[in-house]
Amino acid sequence: MKKILLFIVISIFFYSCHQQEKPIIAFYYWKTIFKLSSSEKEILKLNNVKKLYIRYLDVDLSLQTNQPIPLAPIHFKDQPIGFTIVPVVYIKNNVMLSKSLKINDLVNKLTKYIKQINTKNNIKIKEIQIDCDWTLTSKDNYLEFINKFKKANSSKLSATIRLHQIKYFNKTKIPNVDKGVLMYYNMGTIATDSLNSIYNAKIASKYLSSLKNYPLKLNVALPIYSWAIHSRSNRVLGLKNKINVSNLKKDTNFISIKNNLYKVKNSNFKQSTYYKVGDILKIELISKENLLEMATNLKQNLKKNPQEIIFYDLDQFNFQQYEKNIFTKISTSF
Amino acid sequence: MKKTFLQKLALVFSVAIALVYTTIYACGGGDYDWSWEYETNFTPETFTDAKFTPFFLSQELFYDETGLSDVATLFDGDVQTDWATFLNNKLSLETISFFISNAGIESTSSLYEYYSKNKSSKIVSDWSKKIDLKDKKVKEFIEFLHFAKPIEAYSTSENSWNYENEPKRMDDAIWVKMIEKKYNQTSDKFLKNRYWFQVIKAYFYSNNPIDAEVFFNKTEQLQPKNVLYYRAVSYLAGINSRLGDTATANYLYSKVFDKLPKLQTIAMFCFAPKEEKDWIETLNMAKNDEEKIALWAIQGYYNDEEKAIENIYNLNPKSDYLEFLLTRLINNEEIRINKTFKNQSVVQNKLAIKDTISKTVVALIDKMAQSGKVNKPYLWNVAAGYLQTLDGNFAKADLYFAKAEKEMPKTELAISQVRLLKFVNNLSKIDALNAKNETTILQDLNWLYFELTQSNLDNFRFENAANWSRNYIAALYKTQNNPVLSEAFLRDRNFYSSNTNLLAMKNFILKTNKTKIEEIASKIYEVKLDDILDYQTVLALYQNKILEAIAFMEQTNEVKNEIFQGNPFNGNIKDCHDCDFVAFQKRKYTQLEFLKTMQVMKDKIAKNEDVHTNSLLLANAFYNVTHYGNARSFYEGTIIGYGSTQFDFEDYYQSLITNCSMSKKYYQMAFLAAKTNEQKAKCTYMMSKCERNDYYNGKYANVKNYWEVENNGVDFIAFNGFITLKKEYSNTNFYQEVIAECGYFNTFINQNK
Repeated sequence: MKKILLFIVISIFFYSCHQQEKPIIAFYYWKTIFKLSSSEKEILKLNNVKKLYIRYLDVDLSLQTNQPIPLAPIHFKDQPIGFTIVPVVYIKNNVMLSKSLKINDLVNKLTKYIKQINTKNNIKIKEIQIDCDWTLTSKDNYLEFINKFKKANSSKLSATIRLHQIKYFNKTKIPNVDKGVLMYYNMGTIATDSLNSIYNAKIASKYLSSLKNYPLKLNVALPIYSWAIHSRSNRVLGLKNKINVSNLKKDTNFISIKNNLYKVKNSNFKQSTYYKVGDILKIELISKENLLEMATNLKQNLKKNPQEIIFYDLDQFNFQQYEKNIFTKISTSF
Repeated sequence: MKKTFLQKLALVFSVAIALVYTTIYACGGGDYDWSWEYETNFTPETFTDAKFTPFFLSQELFYDETGLSDVATLFDGDVQTDWATFLNNKLSLETISFFISNAGIESTSSLYEYYSKNKSSKIVSDWSKKIDLKDKKVKEFIEFLHFAKPIEAYSTSENSWNYENEPKRMDDAIWVKMIEKKYNQTSDKFLKNRYWFQVIKAYFYSNNPIDAEVFFNKTEQLQPKNVLYYRAVSYLAGINSRLGDTATANYLYSKVFDKLPKLQTIAMFCFAPKEEKDWIETLNMAKNDEEKIALWAIQGYYNDEEKAIENIYNLNPKSDYLEFLLTRLINNEEIRINKTFKNQSVVQNKLAIKDTISKTVVALIDKMAQSGKVNKPYLWNVAAGYLQTLDGNFAKADLYFAKAEKEMPKTELAISQVRLLKFVNNLSKIDALNAKNETTILQDLNWLYFELTQSNLDNFRFENAANWSRNYIAALYKTQNNPVLSEAFLRDRNFYSSNTNLLAMKNFILKTNKTKIEEIASKIYEVKLDDILDYQTVLALYQNKILEAIAFMEQTNEVKNEIFQGNPFNGNIKDCHDCDFVAFQKRKYTQLEFLKTMQVMKDKIAKNEDVHTNSLLLANAFYNVTHYGNARSFYEGTIIGYGSTQFDFEDYYQSLITNCSMSKKYYQMAFLAAKTNEQKAKCTYMMSKCERNDYYNGKYANVKNYWEVENNGVDFIAFNGFITLKKEYSNTNFYQEVIAECGYFNTFINQNK
């Protein structure tokens, strides 16, 4: 009997060793005030979420001095107790493109600023994430910034990585960070055509095979946001976040002309935007099937299973269209 | 990550408003005002007052790089002048400026204590030597500063890289009350007005900003409607915005927009209805037509020029806001027009334009131009005429332009603008060019293509008409089966892939009795005879017709004397043109000398003289004039184009310049004539370079640009030449040289040990 038991224990041990560890679920928090609603708390609990990537600030150039300045820093109304917090800094590419950029100065200021936020809100961190859509022309400044920022901070450093930066890493280079997060969204052009600019399986497939060659350890960020593309005479005027489709259906100023297209019937202001008669709103969202497809394709093509799946972004508005345990389902697909 | 925040302003009315972020998405990149200036014929500056320049149609926050002003310093000049008048030369302008902008609170407090408590200090004794502290007006000035300075401290921003830098609130209620008391006690009108403004400002930064409104409502009737008054209104607008009363905030911003030019752009920027009900509510707040017009002007700027023009016209057809709204309306119509003529005849293109432009806009401007009620009727006539052109009513357009010409001020810009629009109208009348209708456009074409480019007429938008007319005329000639003139007006990159076209164009260029329009075509056509001869030289050489190539080259003026940077007869293990350029060269070759030397070698081969060497040198020469060689300048030119990768060239030319077959043929010949293994090894290796190039030509055949090239490492193909080299010639010195220099070959060897 003992032998049988030992066999079972050993079998389980080996079996476990052979199972790839499932990635943990995390979220990006991208608002300026940190406060979780009860439905947000419920989803986090239900999906066993213990890690949040919180946008601490944006960095842009000052209109007056043309020097980097912090924008829209986070303010904590709730204490993020029970979560591992990773501050995320979104640096606009024009900062890295600036000819007058003083990299050491930016590193010092940003390091201090993050510390200030942590001290004030009693947050301990082990990792910082830099988010910047760097380009070939801003590459040198960006890579130098990353090097220096890493030296100046004892925390681990991660960076967001776009699909094209993976495919063309010889040209765009790889930032000197401990790990990257593959942003598996914003694939297409913001346009009036029929394609979805958030996720497009055909475009994604062109990049998937490159994932195996990318030297940096990657986690994955998946989209759960939706938006509407506002256009006039086939010209895109803007992106509208958090457009409630059922609300739109009820609004008599808009008429549904196709599945995801709404036409403005009467000119009107709505959510701080003026919609002129004839304007078109194209709704783009991500279905559960899209998310499962992403998970399957990424699993097949990533060199190693990711340790984390980070959903963008944590907001009850985004949860409306999904089942509550979708995030666990997606993460177990890896 | 999504661009969630776009900073549109840093410091506007207040700290509260400074923290406004919007979710406007900056679409695409690289689209700035100049791109729209190149897409439009209607120059907004022509008749519109310069004060409206920031509100012309723009892709930026405001037109012509007009940013938002820094309100912290915006009124410094006015304030100084006001005080200088009050002080009546008791203090120099410099001293006034110092006290207002630079003096610290401790200075003004010390001086105030001297007045209030007769307390002396170093500051007092220092200043008493410079200014007359006893003067009544000086005393009043310093007293005012004593009360105003602490408030000023709240309105200026500190180091932004400080997370603790929260918006500050003036929590000293006693201080605010003291200023209010001072206001009540002061009888001098100037001072009273200034204290009044300080009370509003102090309340704005206090914990009870709503008190500002109470105070304002109680006292505003007594105030002159001056700059300070409208600055105070702007503070009230900020307070309402902060407190969530969007409708009132917008109403007040519209008043500031209307009355205070210095804050016009900022007020425009801050005006932001959230929902339709806010806008309706704001509109209902307007007390008179003037206020309604200001609201419609802002609404028109942001959203709907047509509706705004219609409403303002009904309220006051002479309102000058109509001017900038009209320019926006017309420019907005223009940018929607398809100007490419892609797969379209001019007739089809005109029908498409007619379909694109708004019928209601055409009708509205038509009605207004004919009403006789508007200011600057010529502006409306020009606009109406242009819209008629776009709508296909050319005769009606003529009438409008004629009317405008009679009435308008004869500035150079106005004359040019109308001439340009008349030209657009005249050309638009033409569906097929003939000797008769050509005459209606010839002078203007010369003006547009040659004279205007030399003139310095500020702001005049003529480039669009120049480009459009070239497209239009090219499309006409295409329909009329005249490929040569069509090409001359608008280049087709593949035109020279046809020899018939080439010869026809050459004949056209050489034609002596050109018609006037042909002369224009010939002058604007960027391909010149030298370019064609150069291209013919390249084609002949690629076909190994060296004598023919020499004959073409000799006819060129400049190309024949161009010197190659590297030695075009060199053939190295590695293809590195930069290395060849800097390498020592005993002799430099011009393009013509190069061809002649090639012919000498060819002749020697024919006579069986030193066949190996001559074939090898010829092979190198043919290799070097391909994309892979060191003499790319041989084929680069106006026709084939320029580029550092093969993807920069049209498909037809790409296949020409990447073809190494002629070179391979001569390496083969050199190989057959080789006497030693060293010679054979070299020829074998050189042939494998051609083999390698063929492989990559095939691999990248469908790649359209550099970015599409897959990043999947080096292929390390076992080319036949490599196999032979390893098998037959591994004992040669050349083989060792290849191993030392060529990592690709070395890897191949290591992989195949």
